[in-house]
Amino acid sequence: MTSAPIYLDYAATSPVDPRVVKAMAACMTRDGVFANPASPHSAGNQARRVVEHARAQIGALVHAAPERLVFTSGATEANNLALRGMLSGGGQLVTTRIEHRSVLDPAEALAARGVELCLLDCDREGIVAPEKIAAAISPRTRLVSVMQVNNEIGSVQDIAAIARVCREAGVPLHVDAAQGAGKVALDIEGWGIDLCSLTAHKLNGPKGIGALYVRPGMALEPLISGGEAQLGVRAGTLPTHQIAGFGQAFELAAGPGEAQALQALRERLWGRLGRIPGARRNGSPERSAPHILNVSFPGVEGESLRLALEDLAVSSGSACTSRSAEPSHVLRSLGLSDILAESSLRFGVGRFTTEGEVDSAADRVMTEVTRLRQVSEGAPAWCSS
Amino acid sequence: MDYSTEVRQRFSAPTRAGEISAGSGELVEGSAADTSLAVWVRFQVQIQSGTIRQARFRAFGCPHTLAAADRVVALMEGRPLDDLRTIDWQLLARQLELPREKFGKLLRIEDALAACHAQAKRLQVS
Repeated sequence: MTSAPIYLDYAATSPVDPRVVKAMAACMTRDGVFANPASPHSAGNQARRVVEHARAQIGALVHAAPERLVFTSGATEANNLALRGMLSGGGQLVTTRIEHRSVLDPAEALAARGVELCLLDCDREGIVAPEKIAAAISPRTRLVSVMQVNNEIGSVQDIAAIARVCREAGVPLHVDAAQGAGKVALDIEGWGIDLCSLTAHKLNGPKGIGALYVRPGMALEPLISGGEAQLGVRAGTLPTHQIAGFGQAFELAAGPGEAQALQALRERLWGRLGRIPGARRNGSPERSAPHILNVSFPGVEGESLRLALEDLAVSSGSACTSRSAEPSHVLRSLGLSDILAESSLRFGVGRFTTEGEVDSAADRVMTEVTRLRQVSEGAPAWCSS
Repeated sequence: MDYSTEVRQRFSAPTRAGEISAGSGELVEGSAADTSLAVWVRFQVQIQSGTIRQARFRAFGCPHTLAAADRVVALMEGRPLDDLRTIDWQLLARQLELPREKFGKLLRIEDALAACHAQAKRLQVS
């Protein structure tokens, strides 16, 4: 029997909290709240109340009017809806080079259909200055899209300042908050965000459910049609159990002390990994989400590092790209060479991570990095830079 | 990426990584690298009376590269020097179940062995 791997990939996804499972289970079986929330009978009304309760739980965490949330299959669909929905008529999209593929891929697809694409560089810590966004906005700009927390390096953008810039220019702002919600402060309506993508599974909620916040007055072209649609932009029967889990997960994430606990675990991990000679922390130490740590280990080939540490559940980059041979576009944007980008690992801590797991993981990394460096002793300098 | 049992074993516990400590016989070295493939290999071979007495390697590269270098070194010991040029690379690739996209890395290993052989011939240690 093999033991379960140490799970430090919470930025990819997280295990569902048993309290969330309980909320979901109550909405699935014949004796539960399983009815279609759009049905006018009492069972449907009961399901609708569950959905409305979840809306309120989600809205409370991110400071958004519950009725402005459009449920989607996740943040990927929400990002697609925001971009494709806003730019179907053409115009310019201003975004950054370090966005998630669920923004960059639809952006490139739109560009192939004539949308003007403006991709902004970040600095070496993964931060995009609001002034840079202000300078990029033109009369043709139809949307600015910026992620709140980078999923690979954890850098946190100053969304309040970026929203101010967009408001002054009269351009709508979309924020991908898949990694940020529940981890760092997010005030959707207070900051004046127009569209905001959310997901449940990064916060110990279920996969397959997310939402797009849509400010009143935003005109979006639907991606999915077929019957009654939420705010006129997304059709389909609402999955009551998923939404109930989403709401419960967001309510739990609002609990006190969670972000501080995650940060303490992450710093404990870095405190140990930082002792490995040459280990380099990627991203911004000052402006980073509490749960993500990205470290490069010069002198170690990436694929070998991943195999050597296969008993650790960590990512070698974005979860969506870690099976591909391409080095991370985010790390490249920070100026890392392909070899150094490949030798990088992303660690993500979460609610169920223990200090013991962090210590064991750091020991494993130290052992394997040391071993692989011994095998490559005397290698040319390019192997480490 | 899938790895064969032998690749996993040789990668996690290579038997001949390192350097040859001083001893009788002539030492020759050969290395090769390819930055585009992120691979570097160096072999060290001790030759006595035309026979390879010991061999060791150092390598930077993927698990297949490390495993192939370890296996090649194990194959060489006790064989005539000229056998450095007669390794059946296609057979080795099959035995290690190397994916086709890794064949370029095998060529670098072959280059490093050829460099060893050339140095031995220059020094006339055979």
